[in-house]
Amino acid sequence: MDNSSENFNHDLADTLKPCETLQSTQDWQRISPIAIIYFLAKFIVGFLSNIVVFLPALYLSYDNFIAHPHLWLPIGLGIITLIGLSTFLSFYFFQYRLYQDHIEIRSGVISKTYVNLPFAKIQNVKLEQPIYYRPFGFTCLQLDTAGSAKQEAKVVALKVEFAEQLKKEILAQHKIATSAALDDKTDDTNTSTSDEQNSEVILNTRSISDLIIHGLTNNRIWIFLGGLAPFFDDFGRYIVEFFNGLGIDLEKFLTFADKPMWQIGLYAVTLTFIILLPFTLFSVVGSIITFYNYTLSKVGDRYIRRSGLLTKYEVIMRLSRLQMVVRQQDWLDVILKRINLKFEQSNNALNQYQTGAENSRIIVPSINPSECLALIDDVYPENKMMSVNYQRISKRFLLRNLGYILTPIFVLLAISVVIGDKANLLMAIIPGYLLFSLLIYMRWLRWGYAKDDNFIYIRKGYFGVDYYCFPIYKTQQVQFKQSWFQKRHQLSSVRIVLAAGPQDIPFIKQALAYQLLDTTIYQVESSRKSWM
Amino acid sequence: MHGNANFSNTAMPSQDLPHLAQLNFEKLSPRYAQSNRYIDLFSTAIIMSILFIVQLQSFMPIPTEASDVLMFIIWATAFIGLISTVYTVIADKRKFYALREQDLNYKSGVIFCKTVSQPMLRIQHVELKRGPIDRKIGLAKLQVFSAGGSMHTFEIPGLPLETAESIRQFILDHKDVNHHG
Repeated sequence: MDNSSENFNHDLADTLKPCETLQSTQDWQRISPIAIIYFLAKFIVGFLSNIVVFLPALYLSYDNFIAHPHLWLPIGLGIITLIGLSTFLSFYFFQYRLYQDHIEIRSGVISKTYVNLPFAKIQNVKLEQPIYYRPFGFTCLQLDTAGSAKQEAKVVALKVEFAEQLKKEILAQHKIATSAALDDKTDDTNTSTSDEQNSEVILNTRSISDLIIHGLTNNRIWIFLGGLAPFFDDFGRYIVEFFNGLGIDLEKFLTFADKPMWQIGLYAVTLTFIILLPFTLFSVVGSIITFYNYTLSKVGDRYIRRSGLLTKYEVIMRLSRLQMVVRQQDWLDVILKRINLKFEQSNNALNQYQTGAENSRIIVPSINPSECLALIDDVYPENKMMSVNYQRISKRFLLRNLGYILTPIFVLLAISVVIGDKANLLMAIIPGYLLFSLLIYMRWLRWGYAKDDNFIYIRKGYFGVDYYCFPIYKTQQVQFKQSWFQKRHQLSSVRIVLAAGPQDIPFIKQALAYQLLDTTIYQVESSRKSWM
Repeated sequence: MHGNANFSNTAMPSQDLPHLAQLNFEKLSPRYAQSNRYIDLFSTAIIMSILFIVQLQSFMPIPTEASDVLMFIIWATAFIGLISTVYTVIADKRKFYALREQDLNYKSGVIFCKTVSQPMLRIQHVELKRGPIDRKIGLAKLQVFSAGGSMHTFEIPGLPLETAESIRQFILDHKDVNHHG
């Protein structure tokens, strides 16, 4: 950090023109001036996301602005100049170099940062191309490390070809580092991968209609209610007639002012739908922006996801970094027979980009079952996610949640409502109770687990169904849990912690739980395979 | 790196595996439970005495309704303090750890009993933590971090310092052995 200022004049001559070949990058390099746009955009985004703070102040002083333009105009111009200057300085002080298989980045105007990253430590190389870079053929190169969230590096503006070259270089270095560690079969892998290096296989692409479906299904219930709206009238009438047939005059029962209750309810639902429609549209637009032109491809052992309408993202994952495969279906997905497939990596890597987590993980949106199966088999050829026999968890799960938690709450609520002389509130409490009971039942119905020689499988969900599958040796930690009540019935719960997050299997037989954990730990400890 | 690259585990009969159900659990240092008891009692006493001082002081007399509420809060503090002390006494008796060649285990919990097992191979780094009280009475808390995230930090509290240090050394040596060889 210190010598950055010392060498500064020194470097000036070398770094003024960005000469972009790998050999010449051993000296400190400045990136292309196009990066000014990047820093400006970053500043504007930062400003906009904080505007809520400034808004009241701006609003209050609006009259003041208008009244004294001669005072405020220079101040405004000054601020704009300052922003311009600071973005220019951000660009000016951003330098990088490649030196002895390390990448070093210096940045920051007032608080300086210096990152030194050995190629061998780089986990992931990501290319991110914002829309304003596209006409000029520039891109951002993002480098992830396995370890702490702070050690990330982003080279902000590089020519696309140069970035690709650099990426190849870094990944090649990585390959050498890893294959040197595995003493045997280096020759095989090297020859085979160098062949594969050039041939990129496209595994999946998504069309616009797929993305629209993804947008709709990920917004779940609302759109579906909307779709049913035309039938609500008949539906309501049918229910009323049904109760009439039983000798109950529902309308008299529910009359609220001079409107029947079901009509009011209907209006409420329609209104909700109208309010939610924009959200659904947003969801569709969001899905298209994120996944436009989606391709998932494979080069050697690396999976590459490319997508994006405005900012193009390229995410690369080595197969060994994969922690868990998740096959997700919400209930609308179940009806439409679509699946979201997620390749989960270590959580720590994702935490850095909390805001853009969707953009930096490998997810295949709204594919159909056969495509899904093909992809999962491509990743884990020996997995039996869909054919294995899942064992359901114990029925005591139902007893605990329904019998000991939900029903007492319901009974207490009902009694207090009746005593409080607000019996019509029961109309809300009873359906609520039934709904929760149904949810708990579905939860139990879905929750299952299975295990074979290499994998543990978990099935979960409510009306939708999610399948999780992970290689046993990826386990980080295991937990065996048992309450007094479970102990009496020889039951227990199990938690298996992966780098991609914890997985729970509740209410299984104690002996089975111990057996599961014993074999899991044994496999981790005896195989000695690295988890990444 | 597929599941079965060079390792198969099919033939292993399950009764030959090392069993989590038969771990040789060891007790924490008795000083740990003792110090927890004192911490509980003293903090309750301190909170209560502060509240008493507030009530009895005559610089800023408090209105009678507020005084009643304060009295109630004092008794509630006493009650909670008592309960939590009793709970600590019971809970501390139920904390155990077990070391095996390949993993660390820690068992705790009164109503919900939990055994956490951390394979050494997945440990990323180890920390010994010692607060002022721990330092005074020669205890240490061992923290072990894996890639499972900070929510799943494996922790053994109340170890005598020498034990904690030797466990830490054991883990570090273990990692060295396994990394390349």
